[in-house]
Amino acid sequence: MSYKFPVPTQGTHTRPFWEGAKAGKLMLPRCQDCNRVHWYPRFICPHCHSTNLEWIQGSGEGTVHTYAVQHMAFGPWAEEVPYVTAYIDLKEGDRMLTVLRGVDPSKPEEIRIGAHVKVEFEPANDDMHLPFWRVVEG
Amino acid sequence: MPGTLYKSAAIVGAAEANQIGFLKEPVTALQLHIEAIKNLSDSTGLPISRIEGVFSTGWSSELCEHLGIRPKYIDTTAVGGCSFEMHVHHAMAAIHAGIIDTALISHGENGHSARAIGGRGAANYGRGGVNSPGQEMTMAYGLGSAPSNYAHAMVRHMHRFGTTTEDFAHIAKVTRDWATLNPRAAMYSKDVHPFGGPITVEQVEESRLIAWPLTILHCCMVADHGGAVLVASPKVAASLNTKPVWIAGAGESMGHSNMLEMEDFTATSASVSADAAYTMAGMGPSDMEMALIYDSFTITAAITAEMLGLAPRGEGHLLWKDGRAAPGGSFPINTNGGGLSFNHSGMYGMPLLIEAYRQLSGTAEDGINGDKGKQTSARTCVVNGTGGSLSTTGTLVLVADD
Ligand SMILES: [Zn+2]
Repeated sequence: MSYKFPVPTQGTHTRPFWEGAKAGKLMLPRCQDCNRVHWYPRFICPHCHSTNLEWIQGSGEGTVHTYAVQHMAFGPWAEEVPYVTAYIDLKEGDRMLTVLRGVDPSKPEEIRIGAHVKVEFEPANDDMHLPFWRVVEG
Repeated sequence: MPGTLYKSAAIVGAAEANQIGFLKEPVTALQLHIEAIKNLSDSTGLPISRIEGVFSTGWSSELCEHLGIRPKYIDTTAVGGCSFEMHVHHAMAAIHAGIIDTALISHGENGHSARAIGGRGAANYGRGGVNSPGQEMTMAYGLGSAPSNYAHAMVRHMHRFGTTTEDFAHIAKVTRDWATLNPRAAMYSKDVHPFGGPITVEQVEESRLIAWPLTILHCCMVADHGGAVLVASPKVAASLNTKPVWIAGAGESMGHSNMLEMEDFTATSASVSADAAYTMAGMGPSDMEMALIYDSFTITAAITAEMLGLAPRGEGHLLWKDGRAAPGGSFPINTNGGGLSFNHSGMYGMPLLIEAYRQLSGTAEDGINGDKGKQTSARTCVVNGTGGSLSTTGTLVLVADD
C-alpha cells in the first residue's frame, strides 16, 4: 500500500538528512565551533551564529518531552484519529516532532513523559523516508 | 526647525547574500536573508545576538527563530518594495523612543530560483514550493489546527505542575459566566446560541474531545468580528468627546515561530513583553486591578497569567478556580467573555483592546438589553495578546484617566 499522508518537499540544504534517512540513519546538523546539535536544520548555528556546520549520525534514541492525542484532523490524517503526536528530546540535544508509535491513543494517561523512544524510517516515496519514533519501554 | 526624529538614528552597515543574480543552484529566500545578515554582522562587528529589533516584510518571526534571537521590537510591514524605507522610519522611531538600540532590516527574495523551487518572497511557503526547514521537518506528522499544537503545552503543564484538566475547566466556566453578562457575546444565552448560557466544570470536562486533553469547551470559538481603536497624542485626546485611557506601558517579544522550537512548553515570551511593559509603566503586577488575556485555550490563559506575574508558576488556573477572576471577584479577567465565549475570529488582539478601553473608560455596559454587571471598578489593566502557537506576545499596561 502506498504512503497516503502529506510528504514534505525536500529543501535546498537538507539532502544529507534525507539521504541518511534512506539508509536508515538519523543525520543531525552540528556546529563545528560550539559542538552543539540543533534541529531543524539551519543555515547558521542558532547558538553561536557560526556557519561552520556539519552533519553527524545521531543515535536514533530519545525520550518523550510532551504529547497529545489528536481527535480532529484534516486530509488523510482525519481517517486516522485518534493518534498520538509527541515532541521527542533527542539524546544529542534539541527536539523533533513525530506521530508516536507503540502507544495506545485510547489510554492517554498511560503514556509517560520521559519514556524512551527509538527512531524508525517509513518509505513515503523513492526519495523520502520519513522518521517516526516508537516507545521502546514504559 | 528639524523634526523630532532628526538624526535620531543612523544606518551603520550594509551587506548582501554570498551570491546574488541568476543563481545556477536554486536558493530559498530564507537562505538569502541569513547569508546577508551573517555578512552584515561580520562586517559591522555587531554580534547577531545583539540585534534588538527585526524589521522585514512578513519574515521577522521566522528570521528570529532561525537565528535563535529574542527581539524586543518586531515589524513585518509589507506594503511592497518601499517597505524597507518604511522599516528605516519605524526603526528610527523605536530607537528614538529608547525601546531598542539596534535594528536589523532584512531582505531575501529568490525571484529567479523560485521558478525552480517556489517561495519567491513571502514568508509563507507552500504553493507548490519548498517548505521552510521547520515545516519540512514537521508537516508530515498530522498537526494542523491550533488545538492540535496547544494540547502539547497543556500536557507538559500537567506533568510539571500536577495540574489537571478539571483545573483548566474552571477557566472556561468562569469566562462563560462573564459572557452571560455581555449581550454582545456569542455565547450570551441559549436564545443567542443553542450552546450558549452558563456552563459547568463537568460540562467542560465531558464535551467533545478535539486534541486530548483539550475538549471543545477548552477551545475558543471561530466567529466573525470587526473592531478598531484610535490612538492619539494627549493634545488631540483632550479635544475629543470620549475619555482617554492612557497607555502606561508596552512591550513585545517572541519565543519561537514553529512550536518545534518552543523551549519550555509551560512558558511564553509574555514574561519578557510584560517585564518591558511594567518597566515602562513604572508599575508591577500588584498594581494591576484587572486583566485581559488572549484565551485561545484555557491553557493559554493559565500560562499567560503566570507569565504576567499575576500568579506563581503552575498556579495560574487558581485565579479562576478560587473565583478571583469571576464576576464579583477581586481580580476580574476577560470581562467580555473572552475568546472562549465572547468572540474570537482568528486573531483576538482587537477585542482585548476594545474591552480594556471600555472597562477603563467606564463604558463596559453595552446596554443593548439594558443589562448591568460587566462593568468593573478597575482603574488599571494589563492586556496580553499571544500569537501563533504560543509564539509571540504583546503586552500593554493601561490606566484610566484621573
Ligand atoms: Zn554553534
